[in-house]
Amino acid sequence: MNTNLKISNVTKIYPGCVANDNVSLEFNSGKIYALLGENGAGKSTLVKILSGVIIPDEGKIYLNENNLKLNSPLDAKKNDIGMVFQHFNLFETLSVFENLIIDSDEQRESLREKIDTIMKKYNFSIDLDIPILNLSAGQKQKVEIIRCLIRNPKVLIMDEPTSVLTEQETSELFLSLKKFSEEGILIIYITHKLKEVMQLCDEVAVMRRGKLVSVSEIKNENIESLANKMVGQNLKTIKKKKAKTSSDQLIKITNLNFTSEDPFETNLIDINFSVNRGECLGIAGISGNGQSELFQVLSGEIISEKNSIEFNNNYIGDLNPQERREYLMAFSPEDRLEQAAIPQMKIFENVALNNFKSSNFFNNGLINENKIKEHSKKIISDFNVNTDNIELKSQFLSGGNLQKLIIGRELITSPDLLICFNPTWGLDVGAINYIHETLIKINEQNKSIILISTDTDELLKLSDKISVIHKGKLSKIMNAEEVTSEKLGILMGGAN
Amino acid sequence: MIKIVKRDQPSRAIFFFTPVLAIFLTLVAGGLIFFILGFKPFEALKFFFIVPIADKYGFSELLLKATPLCLIAIGLSFCFKSNNWNIGAEGQLTFGAIVSGGVALLFYEQEGFYILPIVILAGAIGGMLYASIPAILKTYFNTNEILVSLMLVYVSKLILDYLVVGPWSNPEGFNFPETRQFSDSAKLPLLFEGLRIHAGIFLALAAVVISWFVFYKTYLGFQMKVSGFSLKTAKYAGYKGKKMIILVFLISGACAGLAGVGEITGPIGQLHREISPDYGFTAIIVAFLGRLHPVGIIFASLVVAITYLGAETAQIFMQIPKYTGQVFQGMILFFLLASDYLLFFKIKFIGLKK
Repeated sequence: MNTNLKISNVTKIYPGCVANDNVSLEFNSGKIYALLGENGAGKSTLVKILSGVIIPDEGKIYLNENNLKLNSPLDAKKNDIGMVFQHFNLFETLSVFENLIIDSDEQRESLREKIDTIMKKYNFSIDLDIPILNLSAGQKQKVEIIRCLIRNPKVLIMDEPTSVLTEQETSELFLSLKKFSEEGILIIYITHKLKEVMQLCDEVAVMRRGKLVSVSEIKNENIESLANKMVGQNLKTIKKKKAKTSSDQLIKITNLNFTSEDPFETNLIDINFSVNRGECLGIAGISGNGQSELFQVLSGEIISEKNSIEFNNNYIGDLNPQERREYLMAFSPEDRLEQAAIPQMKIFENVALNNFKSSNFFNNGLINENKIKEHSKKIISDFNVNTDNIELKSQFLSGGNLQKLIIGRELITSPDLLICFNPTWGLDVGAINYIHETLIKINEQNKSIILISTDTDELLKLSDKISVIHKGKLSKIMNAEEVTSEKLGILMGGAN
Repeated sequence: MIKIVKRDQPSRAIFFFTPVLAIFLTLVAGGLIFFILGFKPFEALKFFFIVPIADKYGFSELLLKATPLCLIAIGLSFCFKSNNWNIGAEGQLTFGAIVSGGVALLFYEQEGFYILPIVILAGAIGGMLYASIPAILKTYFNTNEILVSLMLVYVSKLILDYLVVGPWSNPEGFNFPETRQFSDSAKLPLLFEGLRIHAGIFLALAAVVISWFVFYKTYLGFQMKVSGFSLKTAKYAGYKGKKMIILVFLISGACAGLAGVGEITGPIGQLHREISPDYGFTAIIVAFLGRLHPVGIIFASLVVAITYLGAETAQIFMQIPKYTGQVFQGMILFFLLASDYLLFFKIKFIGLKK
C-alpha cells in the first residue's frame, strides 16, 4: 500500500526565531528522503512536529489525505508515524525486552514472538534479556528501531542516527533502512552529513534558516551542490598545507594511566604519545571511549603522576589547569555551556576564566575589570565574535560565536599547545570553517594542537598524525596521509 | 485572551519590582485573612505594620530584630549565590551562641575590655564549625546539604537544651532552665539609654559592606561565583571548587554564629532555651526577598522584622495569636516565588481571535 505524507504550510515561531517558515513538503513511500540542513535550520523542529512533540503555530499534516491532529507523541504513534531520536530513550538498567514492553499494549508472549519475527526478518541479533547498558550504540539504536517496527509504522523518521555509530554500524543501518523502504515504509532521514545523503537517499529536501530551500533528486546533486544549498554561499574548501616535518618534541606522554571510581567513566590504559612543534595530532574515536577522560588528564582537571606528562622539558603531570597555562598550554573543552563558559555570566567575566599570570586580571586579589574588558574587546575583534557588547551574558551568543570566544580566549596568550575536544560540535558550516582555519593557522605558526574529535572528516582535514582511542586505549599513531576514514572506522570499532 | 510568552531575556526592572509586588500582595492577602477572621482589615494592618514602629522604642525594636536577620541573610547569600542550599542557619546560630555563651560563662565574675572580643570571636568560630559539617559531608561524601544542615538545627537545639538544664544551669537559679547572667564586660554595649538596640547592629552593617566588597570586587568572590555556577568550569579554570564550597559555608556559619552572639550578649544576657524566634529560618526569606544583594538584604530585613513586631502588637491589642507573624513571612516568600514567574514569562493581553 502506498503511503503519502504531506506537510502543508507549516509555521512554528519561537521568540526571536522562526523555526519553520511556511514549509510544505510531500513524501511518498518507496523512497528514502533526506532532510538536510545545518544545526538550527529547522529540521529538528519539523520532525518534532511530525512526531507530535511540538505543535505548530500554523499548517496542517496529511497522511493519505487524512488531516492529522498531532497533539502528543502518542497521537503520532497511533497514526503509524515512528521516530528514532538522536538520543536514545531507553532505560539502561532494564532488559531489552522490558524496554520494549513498556509502551506496548500486547501480551508478553505475542510481543516476544513479534520481536523475534522482526529480528529474523532484518537480521538483527540482540539478546532480549540482557540490560541495555551492555549494548553497543548500534545495538541500542536497533532496539529503538524495533520499538517502532512493532507498531507496523507507515512512516519512520530517523534523526541524525549515525552520530554515535561506527562506519560498520552505519552501513548495516543503511542496509536495514533500504530494506524497510522496499517493504513500503516511508523513510525520512535527518542529517547534516552530506556523504550519507548521497549514499542512502533518493530525494533530498534542504532547509536553511527555517525555510525550505530546495527539493531535488539525489542523482541531480553532488556533495558540493548540496553543501552550497545548505550554507547558501560558495564554500571555500580548506586544505591544510603539509606541515614542515619538525623533530622538536613539545609534549610527551609516558605510561599514563587513569582509573576512575565512577563506573560511567572510562579508564585510560597505558597512554603513550608525543607531539612535535607545529604538528596536529588527531585523536579519533566514538564518543565515550575515554576522550573526555583523556582531555581532563591533559588539561590537568585530573591530576596524574608528575613524570607522566613532559611538556617543553618540564614534568607537569601533577599541575592543575591554571598552573599548566603558565607553561603555555591552552584548553578548549567539549562542553561549551557547562564547562568552557558559564552562560549566565557576562562575556568579559567568561574571558577572565583564563587567568594567566601576565594577564593582570586580578591584582592583589582584586578584580581588575578594566583590564579584563580591554582584553575581551581585543578577543572579540581578533576572533570575529559577532557582538560588540562585552557586557552581554554569554547565553545570548550563538554556539559558533561562543566557541570563537572560547578559542579566542585560549589562543590570545599565544600558547605553544592547544588541546581541543570536539571544537566544532554542533556548529554551523560558517563557524566550522572559521575554527578550522584558525587551527590551521596555529600549526603554521609552529604551535601544536592535540585535536580530540569524533568527527572523522575534521580529523582527516586537520591532522598530521592520527591515533584512535578505543575503550581507553590508544592505537598506534599513524601519518594522516596513510589513513582513510574506512580504516579509522575499523579501529574505532575496536578491531586491530 | 491572555497569552503567556517566555521572555527572551529576564527583565532587570522586573527583577527589582517583584519583591515590591510580593510585599503588596502579602498586604492584600493579609487584609483578606483579617477580614475573614472578623477584624477590620485596614485597622488590623495598621496594628500590624504601623503601630509597632510609630515611636522611638518601636524603631529601636525594629532594628534589634532586623540585625540578626540581616547578618544571617548576608551569610546565606554567599551560599545561595553559589548554589549551596544551607538552610541550617538556625542551627549555626544556636551553636555559635552555645560556644560564645560558654566562653562568656567562663568570665562570669570578671570584667575587662578583652572579654567581649573573645566572646564574639568564639561565636563566629562556633557557627563556622557547625556549618563545616554539612560542607565537608557535601564535598567529600556527596551528601545533600539541605537535609544535613536542616537536621543539625534540631541537634544544636537539643544540645542547648541539655546544657541550660544540666551542666550549665545557674546554680542559684532555682532550677530554671537558664544559665547565669553574663558579666557586663561580656555584653554588647547599648547604643541609647532606655532602648534595647545594641552595638550588634554595627556587626551587621560591617557584614553588608564586606560581603559586597568580597563578592563583587575580589578574585575570591569571582571564584566563588564560578564554582557556584559550575564546578566543572571551576575545575577547568584551575580553581579549587571544593574549597570554595566549604568557604561559603564557613562564611555563612560565621554570620549566623555572630547573630547568635548578638542575641545572647545583647538583649538576652544569658543562655536559655529560646534564644532565637527562628531567625535562622526567617533569614532565608530575607535573603531571597533582598535578591541576595547586600543592599536589598538591608531593606528586606527591615520589612520582615516588622512582621515579628506586628505579630506582638496584634496579639496585645487585638488578641490575634502572634503566629500570624509567621503566616505573613510565609506569604511573603510564597508571593515572591510566584511573582518570580514574571521574570521569565510575560503576560500578553491580546484581542479575541475570530
